[in-house]
Amino acid sequence: MARIPTLRHCSFALAAAFIVLLQGCGAAVPADAPGGKTIAIWHHQTAGDGPKLIQQAVDRFKQDTPGVDVEVVAINNDAYKTKIKVAIGAGNAPCVFPTWGGGPLHEYVNANQITDLTASMTKDNYRDRFPGAAFDSVTFGGKIYGVPVENTAIAVITYNKAIFQKYNLKPPATDTELLQIVHTLKQNGIAPFALANKPKWPGSMYYMYFVDRLAGPEAFAKAEAREAAGFEAPVFIEAGKRVQALVKEGAFQEGFNGLDYDAGATRALLYSGKAAMELMGTWSIGAMKGENPAFYRDNLAFFPFPAVTGGTGDPKNLIGTVGDNFYSVSTTCKDQANAFKLIQYLIDDKSVAARAQAGRVPPVKGFTSDDLILRQIIDLVAQAPHVQLWYDQELPPALGEAHKDSSQGLFSMSMKPEESARQFEAAAKSYYK
Amino acid sequence: MNGVGGPSDRSTAAVFFLLPAFAFLAVFIVWPVLLSIQLSFYDWSGISPVRTFVGLDNWKALTGDGVFWRALGNNLIVVALSIAIQLPVAMALAVLLHRGGNRLKIFKVVYFFPMLMSTVAVGALFKAVYNLQFGVVTPLLEAAGLAGLSRDWLGDPQIALFSVVAVICWQFIPFYMILFLARLSSIPNELREAASIDGATGGQYFWRVELPLMRGIIITAMTLSLIGSLKYFDLIWVMTEGGPSRATELMATYMYKEAFSSFRMGYGSTIATAMFFIVMTAALATIAIRQRRSEEA
Repeated sequence: MARIPTLRHCSFALAAAFIVLLQGCGAAVPADAPGGKTIAIWHHQTAGDGPKLIQQAVDRFKQDTPGVDVEVVAINNDAYKTKIKVAIGAGNAPCVFPTWGGGPLHEYVNANQITDLTASMTKDNYRDRFPGAAFDSVTFGGKIYGVPVENTAIAVITYNKAIFQKYNLKPPATDTELLQIVHTLKQNGIAPFALANKPKWPGSMYYMYFVDRLAGPEAFAKAEAREAAGFEAPVFIEAGKRVQALVKEGAFQEGFNGLDYDAGATRALLYSGKAAMELMGTWSIGAMKGENPAFYRDNLAFFPFPAVTGGTGDPKNLIGTVGDNFYSVSTTCKDQANAFKLIQYLIDDKSVAARAQAGRVPPVKGFTSDDLILRQIIDLVAQAPHVQLWYDQELPPALGEAHKDSSQGLFSMSMKPEESARQFEAAAKSYYK
Repeated sequence: MNGVGGPSDRSTAAVFFLLPAFAFLAVFIVWPVLLSIQLSFYDWSGISPVRTFVGLDNWKALTGDGVFWRALGNNLIVVALSIAIQLPVAMALAVLLHRGGNRLKIFKVVYFFPMLMSTVAVGALFKAVYNLQFGVVTPLLEAAGLAGLSRDWLGDPQIALFSVVAVICWQFIPFYMILFLARLSSIPNELREAASIDGATGGQYFWRVELPLMRGIIITAMTLSLIGSLKYFDLIWVMTEGGPSRATELMATYMYKEAFSSFRMGYGSTIATAMFFIVMTAALATIAIRQRRSEEA
C-alpha cells in the first residue's frame, strides 16, 4: 500500500511543478523597478576603463531621472556582434545599444528595428555638438539612426619606443622602410607585428590600407558601386600580394592566425617586448592607458600606415571611423524619450572629460587634449582627406564576412591573392544579383 | 478501485508523467525543427519583417557549396578520429582501473576531472596551452629537445583540426571510460575465477571473455560518439571558430556563421536541416545495424 500514495503524490507534485514552470515562462520579462520603468543598455566596452565610463554616465542619468532604473549589460566585442543580432531578431532588443554603423545597422534599419533619431538630434541643435562626418555611417535616406559616442577610432601602427631606440629605428615613411624595420626586428628575435587574426578583422586592416595606399579610396568605392571588375580589380589582387609578402617576411608573431583579440593577447605581446608594433584601431591606446599606465607613459608611440611605393593613394588617408560606436534606440523600447536621454548622458560634458582621461578621442566638435598622443590622433583625423570605414562594417553583413574570410585566407597562405579576390567578388556578385 | 491502481488508473499516471517531457520536447525540439525546415525554403535575414519564398534555391546552392562539403568532410574526420582514439584509450583506462581495484581508486576521480569542466573553460584553457608565446606545449617540446616539432597549433590550417580533436579526446575519454568501467564491474566474478582455473592469462581473459561481453556497450559508445561528432560545435567554436580559413569548419559552426554573422537565416536553416537529416540517417543506420546484430546473436 505504501507505494501507491507515493506514486500519486509524485505525479501530483510533477504536475504542480509543470504548472509553476509554465507560469514562470509567462512571467519571464524583466521585472520593473519599484514604481517605475527599466531601460536596458548593452555595450561592449569591456577593456580598460570602458565599464566604468558607461556606469558613471548611467549613474548620473539615474540620479537625475527618478523612477527609471537602468540595466547595464557588458558583452565582449566579438560575442556582442552575434548576441545583439539574435536579440533584435527575436524582438528582444535592449532599449539602447551600440553598433559600428554601416551595413549591419542599415540591415536593422530596413527591418524597422531602429528608431529614427533625426527629430531628437535636431532639437536644440543637438547634432551640432558632433562633427558632420561623424554621421556618415549612421545616416540612411537622410535620416539619422545613431549617436556617435565612444571614440574617434582610426587604425594606426602603435609601437614600443624603447625597442625602436635600441635598434636605432625610425617611424617609416614608405613600405620599403617598413620592410627594413621588419627585417631588423626579425634578426634580433623580436616579432615585428603583434596580430590576433582569429577574429579576422585585425588582419583585414593591413589589406584595407594596402588597397587605399595603392589606389586611393576610389578603388573600394568603385567596387562597392559594382563598377568595372569589382573586388577582382588589379588593386585588390596587388593588396593581397603585399599582405602575403609581409607574411613571408615573418612580419607577424608565430601563431597569429589562431590568436583571439578580445583577451588582449596582442597588447600582452607589446608589453612583454616580444613584439614591437601593432596595426590597430586607436581604441587599443585607451585600453593600454587603462591596463598599463607605465607602458603608455614611457614606451607608447604610433605612426600612420606608411605610403606604398608606386601607389597613388594619399598617405594622409585613414581607415577607421570618426564616431566609432554609435548608440541607437530600438523601436521596441517602451520609453523612447528616456532612452535617448540616456544616450545623451553617455556623451555629456562629464563623459567627454572622462573619455579623454581614459585615452580616447570623444567624437565631439572642437575637442582638444593636453595629452600628446591624443592630440596626434586629433591632428591626423583633421588632416585626413578621407576616412574609410572598416570594410566589414561598411559592407552588408554577408559581404563583410566574405571579405574577412578572403582576407584571412591571404594571411594563412591557403589562398593565392587572385583566388582570394575571386572569392570575394563571387560573394559580391551573388549578393547583388 | 480500492486503492490499488487498475489499468486505467495506471495509464492516467503514465500520461501525467509523460506530459511534461512531451510538452517540452514538442515546444523546444519538434516545433523548432519544423520551423527550420520551413525556413530553409526562404530567403530571410533573420531580422527583416519580410521573408521571400525561394523554393529549392537554398538547397541547390547547398549542393554546390564547397564550404559545406568541406565542413561535412571535417565532421567525418572528427567522427573517425574520435572513435579510433577515444574508445580504445577509454577501454585501456577502464580495464586498468578495474584490475587495479582499490589501489587505483583515486585515479577514477582524477581521470574524470576533464568531464567535469565546462567546455568553454576547456577551450579557453587549451587556447592558452597552445599559445606559442605564453603557452606550455612549445616550452615542453623545447625542454625535451624536440623544438623542431613545434607548430602553430591553432593557426596552421594543416594541423588546426588535429590540435582541436586532441582536446576533444582529452575531454571525452573519461566519459567512455566510466561507461566501460560500469560494464566491467557488472561482469560476475565467477567468470574470472572460472577462467583462471582454466588457466587463462589476463590478456586472454580480456580478449575472450570481457571484450565479447562488452559488445553492446561498445556499440552504444560508438553511436554516441558518431552522433556527438556529427553535430559537434562548442569546443571548436571557442577554440578556432572554424578557422583559420575553414580548416576546422564543421557543419554546425558554418550554420551558425551563416545564420547569425552573415544574416542569412534562410540559408543557415538549410544547413541546419541538412545536418538534421545527416545525423538522423546516421543514427537510424546504427540502430538498424544494432538490431540486426542482436537478432543474429
